[in-house]
Amino acid sequence: MNEGLISFLSQFDGHKAFVKMISDFAGTDATSTISFFIYLAACLAVVGVMATIGGLGTYAERKISADLQARQGPNRVGPFGLLQMLADGVKMILKEDIIPSAADKPMFIMAPMLCIVGVFGSLAVVPFSSGFILSDLNVGVFYLLGISSLVGVGIFIGGYSSNSKWSMLGGMRGASQIISYEIPVTLSIIAIVVLSGGMSFGTLIGGQGGFPHEWYILHNPFTFIAFFVYFIGALAETNRAPFDLPEAESELVSGYHTEYTGMRFAFFALAEYIEVFVVCGVAAALFFGGWKVPFDLGTGEAFSALPPIIAKNIGQILQLGSFFTKTLLLYYVVIWIRWTLPRLRVDQLMTLCWKYLTPIALFNLIMIAVWAYAFDGKSMFELFTAMGSGSTGGH
Amino acid sequence: MNSMYPFLFLSFFMFVIGLGVMIARKNIIAMLLGIELILNASALNFVTYTRFVNQNLDGHIMSLFIIIIAAAEAAVGLAIVIRFFQVRESIHIDDAAQLQA
Amino acid sequence: MFDSVLFLLSAILIVVGSLGVLFIKENIMHACVALLTALFGVAGAYAVLGADFLAATQLVVYVGGVVILMLFAVMLTGGGAANENKFGIEKIPAMGNVKTYIIAGVNVLVISLVVIKIMANVMQDYKAVALPAYESTVEKLGTLLVTDHVLAFEVSSILLLGALVGAAVIARPIGSTK
Repeated sequence: MNEGLISFLSQFDGHKAFVKMISDFAGTDATSTISFFIYLAACLAVVGVMATIGGLGTYAERKISADLQARQGPNRVGPFGLLQMLADGVKMILKEDIIPSAADKPMFIMAPMLCIVGVFGSLAVVPFSSGFILSDLNVGVFYLLGISSLVGVGIFIGGYSSNSKWSMLGGMRGASQIISYEIPVTLSIIAIVVLSGGMSFGTLIGGQGGFPHEWYILHNPFTFIAFFVYFIGALAETNRAPFDLPEAESELVSGYHTEYTGMRFAFFALAEYIEVFVVCGVAAALFFGGWKVPFDLGTGEAFSALPPIIAKNIGQILQLGSFFTKTLLLYYVVIWIRWTLPRLRVDQLMTLCWKYLTPIALFNLIMIAVWAYAFDGKSMFELFTAMGSGSTGGH
Repeated sequence: MNSMYPFLFLSFFMFVIGLGVMIARKNIIAMLLGIELILNASALNFVTYTRFVNQNLDGHIMSLFIIIIAAAEAAVGLAIVIRFFQVRESIHIDDAAQLQA
Repeated sequence: MFDSVLFLLSAILIVVGSLGVLFIKENIMHACVALLTALFGVAGAYAVLGADFLAATQLVVYVGGVVILMLFAVMLTGGGAANENKFGIEKIPAMGNVKTYIIAGVNVLVISLVVIKIMANVMQDYKAVALPAYESTVEKLGTLLVTDHVLAFEVSSILLLGALVGAAVIARPIGSTK
């Protein structure tokens, strides 16, 4: 039903030998137990790395904004201020945890957890490389859309339970914005699903290649538009500027997390930064070829001089590098946009979603379906080369 | 899971609770929550029989349509609740005793 | 093994969530969150039953749509926290008390036992067959939707459009009837 880490690992002899050894030692078949522990370790690794990336996101945000405004940014703690995030984390943990007396206590506690659960749950299907994906569900993208809408519930409940006007307005704005922009985002994703013929990330990435002309963004003109629709919608779904109305500091003090302190506030911030990483990762996987490396270096067949286990793992590392490069570039663009564009008004936000993005996304979906039917799923580049070879064949 | 009875009992439980919510609660939104529970119970039943009796996917299709109908019902029902609140300033079911506003 | 664990987890979610919907009376917001718990449990049960697409659909539709709609409606109507109507008459937040609930519970138990006794013959005919392995249902569902069930599919799209327009028309503020 799903392929992931285990099916990658089980092709090596070492894994088999290890399973056999443990099975002999325990006297029973230990395959599923070992799979469980491997998944546990992988989940811990992913959560740890992602928490670090979320922390580094705050650092990157401050450094890039300083760069854009000709300032220095954090530069006191550690080299280039890199340890600023640790200092922030320690500060967050040591701060007093205040729960307002008028707050709805159980829901006040639950809201940041819902945000975190939604974001970390969506990490289960993010394809880091062809081997390192926790679970290549065959409803991957769909699952990701579903589980990440928990963040909207968390934001709404956080806004409600604080029992404060600013929080309430921020939460209402956040929830309405998230459920509105889910529509163009989903339609754009479905357009790509139509092209690739599957919802698992393995299929979605498998339909692309390592070079830009094989990516889905350059597949045809409509996917090019679909990427921008997806990206704008994703910005709005993660409450990033220019759509950061739920936490607009000039009108609402700081939106749905006004009343939160300490680690609970840090959970909201962490969830936001990791969600930005996730939507950038999905954009990279859907439109930019994901973990594909040029010249098929990722399969490790180019290093056949080396032992196969090393060759395969070099390939995996190249794939990881490819995925992270694309994702972090998009991450940079997100931060860049935040510090460049002014914030929208609420009516402009809703106009943009319902009057522009949704019709464009619908049109895109239909046109991509027509393209896939008319040209048999061939990309523009393939059509051009076919035209060229056809004309030379005529001579 | 090799038996379908746990699933059937689960679905039965949800159905009874949903019915109880619709009978016992007087808040219209709470009654809508009960309707959601009942619809989910029926959808779970369809999927259970698909898995354990015959493996053709018509039961899944039925559940899919139940989900669609639940979504439509929630949208219209909540719109009616909001409208009712504008007219009556209450969402108590006993206030909905007149056909005319 | 893992199936059983997943089933137990989702069963606990469903039971706790449903009971929460029934018994949380003070704050309807909490009841909505309890409903969210129960719906999550249903998604888990779908996953155990091998209905992967339905589990994801359950998450998308209910978590992202219906529950947020419910929460919105609660916010816009104040949740009916006051137990008095506009004439100042106190209303019962729920019918019944502990006694009636116990009687109802015993009744349900007796009736279900009778029903199970009646159904026993039917149930004995059912033989546990070897279950097929889990496989993807996405492609088959897609094929079925546009072949055998295409009429229901199209009608449901019209239903959804009607529900959308109807909800927008009904929920419009009173003054703006132009």
